[in-house]
Amino acid sequence: MLHQFEYAGPTTRAELHELLARKGGETRLLAGGTDLLVNIRGGVIKPALVVDVKKVKDLPGLAWKEGEGLSIGPSVTINQILASAAVKERFPLLAECGHDLASYQVRNRATVIGNVVNASPCSDMAPALLCLEARALISSKRGTREVAFSEFFKGVKKTVLEADEVLERILVPSKSVGARGAYRKLKRIAGHDLGIVGVALMRKDGEVRLGISSSAPTPVLVAGLGEGDGVEKAVAAARAATSPISDLRCSKEYREFMIETFVRRLWAEVK
Amino acid sequence: MRVKLKVNGGTYEREVESHKTLLRFLREDLGFTGTKEGCGAGECGACTVIMDGKTVNSCMVLAVEADGSAIETIEGQAAKGKLSAIQEAFDRHHAVQCGFCTGGMVMSVRDLLVRNPKPSVEEIKEGIEGNFCRCTGYQQIIEAVLDASGQLGAPGSTGEGLVPEGRLEHA
Repeated sequence: MLHQFEYAGPTTRAELHELLARKGGETRLLAGGTDLLVNIRGGVIKPALVVDVKKVKDLPGLAWKEGEGLSIGPSVTINQILASAAVKERFPLLAECGHDLASYQVRNRATVIGNVVNASPCSDMAPALLCLEARALISSKRGTREVAFSEFFKGVKKTVLEADEVLERILVPSKSVGARGAYRKLKRIAGHDLGIVGVALMRKDGEVRLGISSSAPTPVLVAGLGEGDGVEKAVAAARAATSPISDLRCSKEYREFMIETFVRRLWAEVK
Repeated sequence: MRVKLKVNGGTYEREVESHKTLLRFLREDLGFTGTKEGCGAGECGACTVIMDGKTVNSCMVLAVEADGSAIETIEGQAAKGKLSAIQEAFDRHHAVQCGFCTGGMVMSVRDLLVRNPKPSVEEIKEGIEGNFCRCTGYQQIIEAVLDASGQLGAPGSTGEGLVPEGRLEHA
């Protein structure tokens, strides 16, 4: 038996902001539902109100704008990203991370924004967004603000978002077009699974960036490595930025080993 | 809340609680019990149905979200007492044992063959990665999909070049 809650399907951004500003009882946003409904079912969260963002007409969808970048709105699913020519051509790393997320039917519902606002340490989209210098455009009844993804995650399942705010748009800036990168995700099985460790490595204009998941309380960014820095410096930086734990999926030591292994492999593979 | 949707071509309108999943709505309110609940968490795919042309885990969709949509379930696959080509291939290749995963599996395969009429073994594996089968070990299912997509010869044949030594290579 699913915990009982009220459901609202606002059709305008203003109505959405109004609902989020409502006091009394927890309010949760629903997009793909692939995390939210599982967490409600498991009793992890017990919202009084569930607000569906998919019917809001004046929120952004998926769009490429020359000179600005790629906009990703709250209803954009992982499979939409994978099917997008703009994504494949300009931000293949984003598509690669998306492809590793869960199964085909989950990707039909799961959204990019849902994957990051959940702030799971094992988010598959975060490594790419961190590497690509994506920004979060946040809005509420009080106004709008913009936060870089490197500042977005605050802890396990915690972000900078306030209770009345919605992440209404991710912007992947056009300056990141042309970056070369790849993502490696360790799983228990060849099929779909949560990551044990995930590492993205990106090279652009002489800089090397790492986006690492499942290795700290939040997804982690290592920025500012130079092409001239050797792989040993990258490994040391990855080690310093992460603090893996032992859990049912693997030990701390194995995670440390695999972070290093992936950094070494990607350093050699991504040219 | 009032929900109106199509299931396998028929129109249904019901009052539904906002916290009820599409899966429970299909099974309990409409009687489409061919769609199963396995894990309830998007891992196993036993609850897979096609919603507006896309496969979804119906345990992670609210019935109210499906308002106005067109759903296809396993019950809609056979027509006039005749199994679909995919169902017949599953039968021929013994791709069904306990049958609990089969409803969802067939829906994923149907969707895969619409998107990709001649999938390779790798593409089949990826297409059904969201559907767990704990009986068959997947070999028979992969053979059935190859057959249903016209990539095997006569029933029982293994398709030259596709299947080494009469069996499919294990993952």
